[in-house]
Amino acid sequence: MEKTTVVIGVIGADVHAVGNRIIDYALTQAGFNVVNLGVMVSQKEFVDAVIETNAKAIFVSSLYGHGELDCRGMGDLLKEAGLEKVLLYAGGNLVVGKTDFEPVEEAFKAMGFDRVYPPGTDINQGIADLKADLAALG
Amino acid sequence: MGTYLLLDVGSTFTKGLIVDTDEVKILGHAQAPTTAQTDIVEGIEAVKAKLADVIAAHPLTATRLCSSAKGGLKMIAVGLVPDLTLKAATLACTSAGAKLVGTYSFTLSEREVEAIESAQCDVLLLAGGTDGGNQEVIIANAKALSRLTPRFPIIYAGNKSAADVAVPILRQHGFTVSVSDNVMPTTGVLQVDSAREAIRAVFLDTIVKAKGLSSVASVIENVVYPTPSSVLDALSLLANGTPNQPGWGDLMAVDIGGATTDVYTMHQRLPVSDNAMVRGLPDPLIKRTVEGDLGVRFNAASVIDHLSRVESVDQGLSDYAHSLALHPHQAANPDFDVRLAGACARLAAQRHAGRLESAYTPMGRIDLQVGKDLRPLKTVIGIGGPLIHAKDVQEILSQVRYNPAQPEILLPVDPHYALDKHYVISGLGLLAKSHPDAVLTLLKQTVEELTHDQS
Ligand code: B12
Repeated sequence: MEKTTVVIGVIGADVHAVGNRIIDYALTQAGFNVVNLGVMVSQKEFVDAVIETNAKAIFVSSLYGHGELDCRGMGDLLKEAGLEKVLLYAGGNLVVGKTDFEPVEEAFKAMGFDRVYPPGTDINQGIADLKADLAALG
Repeated sequence: MGTYLLLDVGSTFTKGLIVDTDEVKILGHAQAPTTAQTDIVEGIEAVKAKLADVIAAHPLTATRLCSSAKGGLKMIAVGLVPDLTLKAATLACTSAGAKLVGTYSFTLSEREVEAIESAQCDVLLLAGGTDGGNQEVIIANAKALSRLTPRFPIIYAGNKSAADVAVPILRQHGFTVSVSDNVMPTTGVLQVDSAREAIRAVFLDTIVKAKGLSSVASVIENVVYPTPSSVLDALSLLANGTPNQPGWGDLMAVDIGGATTDVYTMHQRLPVSDNAMVRGLPDPLIKRTVEGDLGVRFNAASVIDHLSRVESVDQGLSDYAHSLALHPHQAANPDFDVRLAGACARLAAQRHAGRLESAYTPMGRIDLQVGKDLRPLKTVIGIGGPLIHAKDVQEILSQVRYNPAQPEILLPVDPHYALDKHYVISGLGLLAKSHPDAVLTLLKQTVEELTHDQS
């Protein structure tokens, strides 16, 4: 059976590279085909890569606190490209400081994200959710 | 033992070169004018007649040929996403020596299919999807193309996992299809060598016949390249050297013609400027761009058009350029010609070179590099009749230099210049694969370095 492809990357002008490599490793170990776009990835680059690779999910990371700004409109962009079925997750340190996570989660869900993770989330949590969501999609 | 006749046909002059690969010597060269009316075979016969004495004294082992006949190799590239597989497909075509007459992305529309039907296309390259990636679009595009009259061969250079579905569809409808490696096997990775070889093979098999070369093909062994493809082989060898002999290192070449201007850059590794982030698909180490709107005769008016957008152009030059478009063979004005050729060199080099773009981020300004940083390049080679016969070659070639007023355009800062004075590069490229050491020696001997500050 062909492996499921997941596109990962750190969005915006963010250069935090360490977590990205760990996510790459963890997803690969879990049996996924990982397309890693690295750091400083634009929304368009995520979408282009999904189209070419037929990826089923995107893991967006944002560590430097400007995640909300960088992710705005991403869900719409995917819809526009006919990719609304692609699972869209975000994690890292999505906003500045240690604010309440609930409003952050709400804001990201309103932008079209399927799952949103607070700082320090174990990547294995994201992988378990991905497997469940993919199974639910059939 | 090897004595080779190397022919370059299809431009205003048919050029012939006889090379002894054992003695590592150029035994003779000759040119004969060709017009659209003259048959290619006539041009070849005229060159051979001029070289008759040499041929009599040194029986030929083989004849090899490169051709830009009938406007060169015209290709259409089809990909999926414009910045990914379509860009990779485009680069594969230009690096095989082709001129693009159409590029298409995503699923082809009926209108686009009709445009392809009426285009003057010699070969179509079909890409789309990384390996294991999107299959739907390339299969849909194969189906759409299969409705066309199979006038041109197709090279399938897309998602390998869709080849077994897409290729038979095309073949069932009468298309000749060759399959190469995917031009973009994974996102952001270029792999154009296999597609480039496939294009060359198709060129030999089908194009040579279609372009009226079949009557000479019988005297020619299996090396018939599009001219720019042969130039690329020669330049790549001159840059990289062989295991026995060093080359000149990273270099740039500008080939100015009557209708087009080609720029080539050869790099051992991708040059990245300090503290810049590289964005976009990386440029190939061996890169060729071809500008179909820049040339010193048939496109002189278009050169003026571009030039006048960035600087004021005096009336005399403008009038000259416009009259050239109508009467390309009128008496030349050498000073104006230097300026026209200089403009071609500059505009084409600017389009070829990488750029630094500033991006304003929450962290302040950062530099993004798109394409190749050519600033450290040390060698710029001039190719083509308009340069060989120019009043001031150095003046023309120096137009490709980095301009401090436009620091974002990453052109060579302090290069020295050389000239393919005897027109050997395109011919010698035909031997680059089979006789690399002999060719490298001959290139180093005949491509003449111009003194550093002649101007
Ligand atoms: C190292 C570091 C840097 C290095 C980065 C080097 C590099 N190339 O990687 C440098 C010095 C360059 C840097 C710069 C900056 N940094 Co910094 N940096 C850090 C630091 C100390 C460690 C980051 C790290 O590598 N963590 C280890 C990895 C494994 O963890 P991770 O990145 O969080 O990723 C994991 C999880 O978050 C999760 N995850 C991530 N994404 C996703 C996505 C999904 C879907 C899921 C499920 C999970 C998931 O899984 C990952 C793997 O386990 C953190 C503080 C900290 N301790 O976290 C600050 C920190 C991230 N940086 C911060 C800041 C502010 C900056 C700067 C803006 C500072 C400045 N003013 O210049 C710049 C920004 C530069 C830029 N353009 O990006 C802040 C961010 C504040 C916020 N978001 O509220 C932090 C949190 C420090 C702080 N407490 O203030 N930084």
